[in-house]
Amino acid sequence: MHPDKLSSLLETELPGMAWSMQPSDLEKFGQDWTRFHDPQAAVVFFPNDIKEVQKIIQVANRHQQVVIPSGGRTGYSAGAVATAGEWVVSMVRFNQISDFNAIDQTVKVGAGVITEQLQHFAEEHGLFYPVDFASAGSSHMAGNIATNAGGIRVLRYGLTRDYVLGLTVVTGAGEILHLNKGLVKNASGLDFRHLFIGSEGILGFVIEAEIKLVSPPPNQAVMLLALSSLDAVMSVFALARGTLQLSSFEFFSDRALKHVMSHRGFDNPFEDLHPFYVLLEFDEDEDQAMHVFESGMESAWVNDGIIAQSIDQAQQLWQYREGISESIAHYTPYKNDISVKISQVPQFMQQLEDVLAAEYPDFETIWFGHIGDGNLHLNILKPESMDTAAFKTQCESVNQHVYGLIDSFAGSISAEHGVGLIKKPFLPYSKSAEEIRLMQQVKQVFDPNNVMNRGKVVD
Amino acid sequence: MKILVAIKRVVDYNVRVQVKPDGSGVATDGVKMSINPFDEIAIEEALRIKEQGKADEVVVVTIGNSDSQQQLRTAMAMGADRAVLVETDSAVQPLQAAQVLLKIIEEEQPGLVITGKQAIDDDNNQTPQMLATLWNRPQATFASQVEFTGDNKLNVTREVDAGLETIQVELPAVVSTDLRLNEPRFVKLPDIMKAKRKPLETKVLADVAPDLQGQMIEVLSHEAPQPRSKGVMVESVDELINILKDKGLVG
Repeated sequence: MHPDKLSSLLETELPGMAWSMQPSDLEKFGQDWTRFHDPQAAVVFFPNDIKEVQKIIQVANRHQQVVIPSGGRTGYSAGAVATAGEWVVSMVRFNQISDFNAIDQTVKVGAGVITEQLQHFAEEHGLFYPVDFASAGSSHMAGNIATNAGGIRVLRYGLTRDYVLGLTVVTGAGEILHLNKGLVKNASGLDFRHLFIGSEGILGFVIEAEIKLVSPPPNQAVMLLALSSLDAVMSVFALARGTLQLSSFEFFSDRALKHVMSHRGFDNPFEDLHPFYVLLEFDEDEDQAMHVFESGMESAWVNDGIIAQSIDQAQQLWQYREGISESIAHYTPYKNDISVKISQVPQFMQQLEDVLAAEYPDFETIWFGHIGDGNLHLNILKPESMDTAAFKTQCESVNQHVYGLIDSFAGSISAEHGVGLIKKPFLPYSKSAEEIRLMQQVKQVFDPNNVMNRGKVVD
Repeated sequence: MKILVAIKRVVDYNVRVQVKPDGSGVATDGVKMSINPFDEIAIEEALRIKEQGKADEVVVVTIGNSDSQQQLRTAMAMGADRAVLVETDSAVQPLQAAQVLLKIIEEEQPGLVITGKQAIDDDNNQTPQMLATLWNRPQATFASQVEFTGDNKLNVTREVDAGLETIQVELPAVVSTDLRLNEPRFVKLPDIMKAKRKPLETKVLADVAPDLQGQMIEVLSHEAPQPRSKGVMVESVDELINILKDKGLVG
């Protein structure tokens, strides 16, 4: 639709609605953190309330126009990217936290509440919102819900799904649903709440959520261990899990560390470089921490180790892990976010290493991830001289091998980033033809005209 | 030369401090405690001086309850050679702290005393100055750079309101550290093991300073700061000006 025609249509059918067709807004809100598509949004809406979202959907249905929910735009799967003149609906104005209830330990968050905003709110009320990850300072709660975001404390606290007690949504047909209404127990038929969690915007808009908060854990200690080999990573995990009350067990490779050091100007935390590092967060217990370290040293799994002496130092150690994505962003990395059962991680990683050595001999590969959840982030860096499109094509051809291996381990091609556009061609490696067909049919139930985020996840 | 570093155990800088409901103090049960950040910088500086070969021993001292051993062990894991705990369960005010530290100085005879410019719990910023006065030695406060000149003198760059000021002091002297002096190192796990074998001497406050003056300041009550009222977003400059006019803040 020509911009002039579109703007007159919007003036007539959506009077009083806030929207923008400024090229800078179209670019900003038409994409996430991926850089493989040129953002091509037609318009960006900034609705103020649920009624306005409903109106946008009704008008979109009338004109067979695709709408894309837009949150903090930190996605890694192009799940919120506009590529074909779609209408983008930004939820930035839904940024209120309300209805805190100390007895239920619940709180209502608008779609556009930033993760960190909720974490701070919980802390101010003596409680804790445990879902956390590197982009917590930007990501929106509705985006977390739409991708069932995980992050760094899944090992102990689970995923976003485990904290959603109620959802208010607008479906692709324009219906407003209040799902589960904040109840802990509710055995009254199908729970559509869980369909919307992880739906990546293909069923409708998440407008508001009731979120469960928990009691904060005791003081946390943070330890960074330098390991001798890949095998040692899982051995140390088994050891630490049996000894400490772990909240996080994260790993990264020496290459990941080098990128963080050069990007952030950090010193090497150790004198030497080591093949792999693991970062552990756990309930403070120096004797047990020392036991893990010493046993690890005796078994020659652990080369060296640091333990934070203040919260400030704990945050510094976390920077070595959380700074990785940012430090490699300018290489236009091709991100694989994969998972297998925890027990199969060592075998899987060994075989994956072989595949990588054979298929990506010239590309720099960066390993890191939430290994305590069986979740690995494998990033392939684009050589500077290579064209982005050619790089993506080559990565996708190698994916056949990588995802074939994941399939043989009954793993997932997307552990926490979602499918979006980027992983859609590879969905059959994780979901059967029957499951994919049923997904399409479920989408049709909530969104009969296929206006919600069309082309993402499934066709 | 021996360096004496005075440190204090405080509620960790990043903890959201809660006042006890009866206003008698700040809640510390189950709260993360750490070395006062300025004192951590003091330890780091002393260790760097020793590593440059300009000192041969770093002794760390604190005044506090027996839990303070934990912070002394941390200081020794960072690299301090030994530690002295002057044990007391009572709160110690700056002049008393300075008097106790003077006794330790008389015993240890250090060539240099380094300590944080203030403790982040009471923010007094008085102990180093009082200590230098009682000791009758020079003081270089708010140091952001420390350099040995070779003739038993120190050039110290100080962070002052107008910028940076460099002064020269003759040793022995008291240096108090500012935030930009250095970045303290991480503690290695093997060094925590080693620190367990380093000497930690505990003295009773009444034995160290039997003639200590009583507390000169009485704390009446503690109160949390009033919560700030929420800001409002305005759509335009005109709206902002109107609001300011309504509140009588602009003419």
